[in-house]
Amino acid sequence: MSSPTTLALVALFAPVAAAILLAALPMVRRRGAPAAVLCVLGSVVSFGSALALLRDRLENETPALLTASWLPSASQSMAEVGVRADAVSASMLVVVTLVALAVQIFSLGYMHDEEPPAFGRYFTYHALFLFSMNVLVVAPNLLQLFAGWELVGVTSYLLIGFYFKKPSAARAAVKAFWVTKFADMGLLFGLLVLFSATGSFGWDAHLEPAVATAVTLLLFLAVVGKSAQFPLHVWLPDAMEGPTPVSALLHAATMVAAGVFLIVRANPLFEQSETTRTVMLALGSCTALFAACLALVQTDIKKVLAYSTCSQLGYMVAALGAGSLMGGFFHLTTHAFFKALLFLCAGSVIHAVHSNEIGDMGGLAKKMPLTATCFIAGALALAGIPGLSGFFSKDLVLEAVEGKLHGVPWVLLLLTAFLTAFYMGRVVFVAFFGKPSNDKAAHAHEPGWSMRAPLVVLMLLSVGGGAMTSTFARMQHEPYHFHMGLGPSLAAALGLGGFGLAYSVYGRAKPEATPGAIAWIERLAERRLVNRFYEWGFHKVTLAVADSLAWIDRYVVDGLINILGYETLEAGRRMRAVQTGLVPDYVLAVVIGVIGVAAWGFAR
Amino acid sequence: MTLSLCLYLASALFCLGVFGILSRPQAIAVLLSVELMANAANICFVAFSHFRGGDTGQVFAIFSIAVTVAEVAVGLAIVILLYRRHRDTRLVLVSEARE
Repeated sequence: MSSPTTLALVALFAPVAAAILLAALPMVRRRGAPAAVLCVLGSVVSFGSALALLRDRLENETPALLTASWLPSASQSMAEVGVRADAVSASMLVVVTLVALAVQIFSLGYMHDEEPPAFGRYFTYHALFLFSMNVLVVAPNLLQLFAGWELVGVTSYLLIGFYFKKPSAARAAVKAFWVTKFADMGLLFGLLVLFSATGSFGWDAHLEPAVATAVTLLLFLAVVGKSAQFPLHVWLPDAMEGPTPVSALLHAATMVAAGVFLIVRANPLFEQSETTRTVMLALGSCTALFAACLALVQTDIKKVLAYSTCSQLGYMVAALGAGSLMGGFFHLTTHAFFKALLFLCAGSVIHAVHSNEIGDMGGLAKKMPLTATCFIAGALALAGIPGLSGFFSKDLVLEAVEGKLHGVPWVLLLLTAFLTAFYMGRVVFVAFFGKPSNDKAAHAHEPGWSMRAPLVVLMLLSVGGGAMTSTFARMQHEPYHFHMGLGPSLAAALGLGGFGLAYSVYGRAKPEATPGAIAWIERLAERRLVNRFYEWGFHKVTLAVADSLAWIDRYVVDGLINILGYETLEAGRRMRAVQTGLVPDYVLAVVIGVIGVAAWGFAR
Repeated sequence: MTLSLCLYLASALFCLGVFGILSRPQAIAVLLSVELMANAANICFVAFSHFRGGDTGQVFAIFSIAVTVAEVAVGLAIVILLYRRHRDTRLVLVSEARE
């Protein structure tokens, strides 16, 4: 049995080895298929060792550390770089590598029509991304986590902008990059404050209350950006421009989950600030409801899932804000499975009908029974139908927030649960039932095995994920006894009710227009208020500040320099008059000079 | 004959030279004035040498005369060039030194 740190190192370096090989061997990369095989191989190795690591960690609880000193300064190192293998990082590693592997195998089929060089490039990015995410997950301190965090940002930029010839995709990639980069300032400054207060980047430091609040609020800003919480959620729907498997990877299990993972990791810090936790609870539950409302009116199947992701991340943040590590982390895990499943099913559907609009689908359940079954299973899990994984994790979240802040978050999240079931029901009934809306939908068929296999695996996990609850609880050292109390019954009833309502509205016949009750949301969504606010901010504030600075630069700074230059020239021109070129004048000057020197000599 | 008398003579000569340089328009006259000033210096050399003892001053006077001869040679060459260029040797016409 190899040591846990070795396993973690293998999990960490297998993908990057593939990426480096692919980067160094362009002839392999441009051939396409061999590159994909290499990348999948790296992920298989990574997943295998992550699984072995998790099994090892279940038996052995002391965290295993393997670090080397980093940034040595004045004979002591400022930080360590290395791996930390404990329950949290091991289970996160398994989730990340499993979803990444499923997505990569799915991509074999989904991206098959790409040119071989693009195909190879795609898998190179994937390998790099998995490495970046693993750097973040196994980080022994916040500095390495920050490095992984930024690597994830860069590689996600590459993946979202994979179709870089499409202007909207390129813009979406830049937007995702900038919005998260803006939020990352919070992480950077949080780390600086933390380091100046404690002299280390560890997350188990004891801080003054004010410092703890400052650090955790700054860290939370980064989480808001990465995990697409209101008001920095704007990049996530746009990022749906990337290939669908990329959305499944980035926006279900890895990139957006990194924010939640950061809170789980740095929990000892977050524990010290009640203020930050209240902010998290409030913002998380508001985001959950807000994004769920927006998901109601989206017609693009991927955008529905995107807003749904924002909403579910809101659940996790709220749970962590309520102090339930277990609730947040477990919901992260189950959500990773069923949301990746939903995205991959959406990919399978889009692959078949060549459209993202749910209006262009319809009746697909008969043509694509497996995809439909998987999608419905994912939707039911997401809606929290009893017995499926989402039910258990959502129940934990609701239990955690119950009674906090006068019960407002609890009500908001219950309402969200209802809306979640409704919008998922809408997609299911519109896309998979009824009559096919066009020829493509009528002749849709199931994809190849490489796309079906990941769906089945993820479906089994989404359905059976609830069985892992007690294992998870044991790893988090939290007691867990499931009991069908008020919260779970209410949530289950609301979930079923949401589906029922969706059936009554969308089930029998597709309504021509959006039902009146949610039409106002559509009108609001069309006005893109948050985006417009940023645009307004950019035009009015940023540009105004930039213009005034430009004015100062042009007229004050440049003006001073110009005056200096002009005066020098002018002085030179005046001095030229002295140079007459006439010998007697020079002689006169010499004589006057001599007399002057003589007079000076006498005067002394 | 005293040292001070000799120095008065040298000063007078020197001032004449200065006056000549400043007032004469002709290049040759200016050259002559320069010679006057040089000779005023030579008188000082010799006078000091004579009244204070030692031969250094006299030797220096001979050096000075030799240098002055060379200087006159160069000066006259310039005057000839000036004449060729301007058909005149009045210095006020010359302003090439400006550029």
